Amino acid sequence: MADLIDYLQFVLAPQALNGLSLGVAVVLMALGLTIIFGLLDVINMAHGEFYAVGAFLALTLAGLGVGFWALLVLVPLLMLPIGWLAERWLIARVFHSRDRHILTLLLTFGLGMIMEDLLKLVYGPNTQRPENPIEGGTEILGMFLPNYRLFLIGFGLALIAAVWLVVFRTGLGAMVRAAAFDKDMASSLGVPVRRVYAGTFAFGVALAGLSGVLLAPIYSVFPTMGRDFILMAFTVVIVGGMGSIQGAVVAGLLLTQVQALSSLYISPVWSDPLVFGIMVLVLMVRPQGLFGRLGHA
Amino acid sequence: MLSIENLHAHYGLSHVLQGVSLQAGPGEVVGLFGRNGVGKTTILKSVAGWVPASSGAIRFGGVDLAGRTPDAIARLGLGLVPEDRRIFPGLSVEENLRLGLLQCPGRARRENEQAIGQAFARFPRLAERRRQLGTTLSGGEQQMLAMARVMVGTAKLLLIDEPTEGLAPMIVDEIFAIITELKRAGLTILLVEQNIHRALDVADRFYAVERGRITLHGEAASPADRARLMEMVAV
Repeated sequence: MADLIDYLQFVLAPQALNGLSLGVAVVLMALGLTIIFGLLDVINMAHGEFYAVGAFLALTLAGLGVGFWALLVLVPLLMLPIGWLAERWLIARVFHSRDRHILTLLLTFGLGMIMEDLLKLVYGPNTQRPENPIEGGTEILGMFLPNYRLFLIGFGLALIAAVWLVVFRTGLGAMVRAAAFDKDMASSLGVPVRRVYAGTFAFGVALAGLSGVLLAPIYSVFPTMGRDFILMAFTVVIVGGMGSIQGAVVAGLLLTQVQALSSLYISPVWSDPLVFGIMVLVLMVRPQGLFGRLGHA
Repeated sequence: MLSIENLHAHYGLSHVLQGVSLQAGPGEVVGLFGRNGVGKTTILKSVAGWVPASSGAIRFGGVDLAGRTPDAIARLGLGLVPEDRRIFPGLSVEENLRLGLLQCPGRARRENEQAIGQAFARFPRLAERRRQLGTTLSGGEQQMLAMARVMVGTAKLLLIDEPTEGLAPMIVDEIFAIITELKRAGLTILLVEQNIHRALDVADRFYAVERGRITLHGEAASPADRARLMEMVAV
């Protein structure tokens, strides 16, 4: 019995908490992806690179003496115009063509490659380690937990709740959901659809950038940092249901737990096949994912 | 108020509107009749900015609508009550209704709330169900919501497409009562309706559409014009 409690306390619980901090970060990434898909019907292949840009922006600004708390506000604000212009100048140009899906996929894929190479040109290919903004740890129920991870979990969950409130409890969110379901009708009621599109894309990009700021102290910063992460985010979006906010949250937290806890019992090499295996299973059994798309009942 | 001149429109290769001209003066209710698939709905969609005109001109209150987006046209004062009502499924009744306020973004909050209050007072069934999802309403209630949605704004011209389709007779009475109220309030209405007799009771004038062209227009009150219309649309 004592062994069991020890096991729960010193093995399972810390691993679950590690999984939770990763999960919160993955959900933030997946939220941006799924909101953009739900509204614009665009799969943003550059999302991982926007995440990297956010992390590098934080690195540069921190070098200029900007504090961590200011970065949490400043970086998303700087990412907003980047996302806005990417939508207005690039995506909007091919949005109304018949091959929208493939064109926007290729366009954002190319954009991601350009961004990644620009980061390599400016910062070099090497890995940079930002300072841990919140040093130390806290003992909770006999477990020693790094303060930064605790902050990440709390801040991330609050952010997820805030996004949910904006989308489902405000007039602005109603506009986005209406446009996601029926663009023409929303437009004829006076919803400024073009601005809603650009604004939503910018919002998703800002969320990706903010994830970059939050995760940089844990996973360090390098130009291809988006690649590892984006696969997980895409898996989460597919399992949760493309375009579903609830789905991104539920699937994000579940899949990262699967990954974290399974690595206790099987070689970590196998935790990725396990997660992607779940995705394949979901696609076979319930191809629409766990939850419905944004704006749909 | 609304003037359409020699309007042509295409869906891909199909030439749907082949030179439509029509007018609607301030406060007028104008009926648009014809069989299915002759282009009535396309005329409304062209005015609303959903379907681009291949040639011809649409003017609303003296403003040329060419190249304007549907939301810009809505803010000029055009309200659309479309075929199949198009209630947003993921949105509550109240959220659906409040979207209508976006037609007048500059209006004071107090006036907006007053407009919502009036709509709920006029449609108590919508008020009772304000927190329900819009698509859980009955067909008639959804039609009321689609009409209330344009009534909370500042529309001067309403395009109403088949508002009574598939509804019970009692609800049909209610819909025509609303249209009559809107007419009394001074709105201009372009009404597409299969129930021609009922529509002619509220309309001032009418146009008949055949294969993308206007083939007849007349006064709703003139028995001779009505007779010609009936002859034309009777199968």
